[in-house]
Amino acid sequence: MSTRGRSELQINLATNIVIISMAMLFATLFMGYAIYRSSAPVWPPMGVQRVSLFLPSLSTVVLFISSFFCYQVSVSTKKNELSKGHKYLNLTILFGLGFMVLQGLLWNQMKSSGLFVSSGIFASITYAFTWIHFAHMIAGLVALLYLKKILRSETKNLMTKTTSVENFWYFLEIVWIIMFITLFVF
Amino acid sequence: MSGGYNEIHPEPTTFWSKYIFSFDHKVIAKQFLWYGIFFLGLGGLMALLIRWTLANPGVPVPVLGNLIFSGSGGVVPPDTYAMLFTMHGTIMIFYAITPILIGAFGNYCIPLMIGARDMAFPLLNMLSFWFAFLSGVVLLISLVIPQGAAAGGWTSYPTLSTLIGSPGAGQTLWCLAIFIFGISSTMGAVNYVTTVITLRAPGMGYFDMPLTVWGLWLTAILNAIFVPVLGAGVILLILDRVFGTTFFLAGASATSGSGDPVLFQHVFWIFGHPEVYILILPAWGIVSDLLSFFSRKPAFGAKATALSMTSISVLSTVVYGHHMFTTQMSPLLTQSFMTLTMTISIPSAIFFANWLGTIWKGSIRFDSPMLFSLGVVFVFGLGGLTGLHLGTTTTDLFLHDTYFVVGHFHYTMAASVLLGGFAGIYFWFPKMFGRMMNEGLAKLHFWGTMIPLNGIFFGMLLVGYGGMHRRIYNPFIYESLQRLIPVNNLITTSAILMGFFQLVFVYNFIKSLMSGEKAANNPWEVGTLEWTIPSPPPHHNYDIIPVVKCGPHELGNPNLKTGRDFQYQTEELVEA
Ligand code: HEM
Ligand SMILES: [Cu+2]
Repeated sequence: MSTRGRSELQINLATNIVIISMAMLFATLFMGYAIYRSSAPVWPPMGVQRVSLFLPSLSTVVLFISSFFCYQVSVSTKKNELSKGHKYLNLTILFGLGFMVLQGLLWNQMKSSGLFVSSGIFASITYAFTWIHFAHMIAGLVALLYLKKILRSETKNLMTKTTSVENFWYFLEIVWIIMFITLFVF
Repeated sequence: MSGGYNEIHPEPTTFWSKYIFSFDHKVIAKQFLWYGIFFLGLGGLMALLIRWTLANPGVPVPVLGNLIFSGSGGVVPPDTYAMLFTMHGTIMIFYAITPILIGAFGNYCIPLMIGARDMAFPLLNMLSFWFAFLSGVVLLISLVIPQGAAAGGWTSYPTLSTLIGSPGAGQTLWCLAIFIFGISSTMGAVNYVTTVITLRAPGMGYFDMPLTVWGLWLTAILNAIFVPVLGAGVILLILDRVFGTTFFLAGASATSGSGDPVLFQHVFWIFGHPEVYILILPAWGIVSDLLSFFSRKPAFGAKATALSMTSISVLSTVVYGHHMFTTQMSPLLTQSFMTLTMTISIPSAIFFANWLGTIWKGSIRFDSPMLFSLGVVFVFGLGGLTGLHLGTTTTDLFLHDTYFVVGHFHYTMAASVLLGGFAGIYFWFPKMFGRMMNEGLAKLHFWGTMIPLNGIFFGMLLVGYGGMHRRIYNPFIYESLQRLIPVNNLITTSAILMGFFQLVFVYNFIKSLMSGEKAANNPWEVGTLEWTIPSPPPHHNYDIIPVVKCGPHELGNPNLKTGRDFQYQTEELVEA
């Protein structure tokens, strides 16, 4: 194995292991959710209102656009059009931030409609899952900023690092979509 | 982060970069070793306090009592007793065994035994230690805060661990400490898995790796997958305690829509059962290698041993329900979990037989690492057999939550891993520090550990079988249990004795560190890669990356013409 191939493999392995670990964390949360939900006589529990779909749907769209731009980053990097990649990266970050702002609005809306963190299991799940996802979004953002830093200069394994960050961002997107469907839609 | 495979990193020059924030896997390994030995002492002290209380309920603790428990006249108070067994378990599992077996040996052995100059990600490796350090500090702080440390058991089941069961910050800090420790373990796992896959010396296939590396590697894989499960559990517990969510609160304590305390048990054991293998696999690996080295014989069925360890790792992910037979799960589930649990016996029996096959007709050298390895064979055998009684639903209904369980997991986990860890320390000490440990004291330490150890843990099996429950402050208020006081006295006396003999180890360790006889490159005459270089190894380990030509256990071959009875992994294989 060449030294270059080896360090690419190392970066890919590390990224995948990190993603698997985080996936296990979310899988545990979803398993718990499945158990709560299947053992509850009605869902949402008596006296609790569903969260309005508008903000979660908008969040989904915004995060999807962000991921789309993220995909463009790696396309441009592959073609070695670094300044173009840079532009797309900025857009990725911008829409990622937009998603996070929308999450803040969502929490506000939930609170003003009387759904507090301590209002029982439905609220517990909705708040906790979005909080934990949000915390991982911060990590994702840090990864994007790191990419921004290394995109400026020709770096070793640039392409591999770009796809790693990209995959991590997709992972967060996928987790959100699962949350969107299971927590808010159905 | 860069994969510095062929680069030789410049040697650090300042005190800080050399000993404190070092990137060198050998230094990080020693940091983990000191860390683990410190907590081993602390956890051991707690064990003695627990034991004193069980053998002499209501009697002040000698010497330490008036210092620590002045408020109660030197007697361990009931709530403190709960904190003691909780913190003892937590410290031993996460802060003593994990750092020594995985942190110290993982860091030290993996790169050296596969012929690499360092881990794949040295910076991450350093962070892993400092996260563990931070976690340890949080845990220690929880010991001294006003309402005391966590008291819900190392398993932290709700409702014991919710605000109702344990008010105060202790349990919250416990969760936080465990979460931070989880991050550290995951970082370590990323490094170990990647290093083994990408940095093996040219020519070294997976089955040419020493079994030590196999054990550590499988452990790292299990760590990466299952530690986050516990992570999720403790986050939810923190949210319940701090922000008022109701994940684990049921009934009247949950206002609308009920939580589920038993869910935490599922989450805990989905992590917990793999965790027990996370802890034992490195010890299995070390023992499998040492038995071959000191029998001067190839490891019997080494490939089968590696594959059994792998299948045990896989199976360990689907048996966790055997910890929950008494939670009213459906009989269909209990029977499935029971059957799956019994399935583990098959690979376990294979590799246990391989251990015996390895020493069979060997010309055994009874050096201290070998004594401790043989000790592991004995205690792990006993521990594994008691697992069958617990894995069978019908007998577990009686034995669950008794001292029989405590005896079982101390034999499998505490005793095996402790002895395995000592075997490793005595074996690699010369490589690590460039000096030999005193062999006479080591042998004294072995017998002084092995004999009382069986007094302790076999005693626990007996009193558990006699019906004594675990985690009870004073079991002897039940008249039927009073007849067990003499056995409990035996256990406690043994524990004090064993504690005393650990001082022999500490003395030997420190004395040898400072003035032990200088170690040669290869004092044990074995052929794995780390013994081809000086003791202690230079900063970059290998001047030239070795090329591997044969397996790690080529000993006792009569056709060898080199005048040695073993061959190095860098030598062309001579047919036996
Ligand atoms: C050989 C196969 C094994 C079997 C069939 C087995 C079975 C069991 C069962 C059924 C229990 C639950 C008992 C109860 O709570 O009623 C148990 C507890 C336990 N086992 Fe094992 N076990 C095996 C090996 C191991 C190994 C290798 C380790 C560690 C290295 C281990 C560590 C533990 C621990 C820590 C507990 C107690 C946890 C607690 O409740 O605090 N076991 N075992
Ligand atoms: Cu188990």
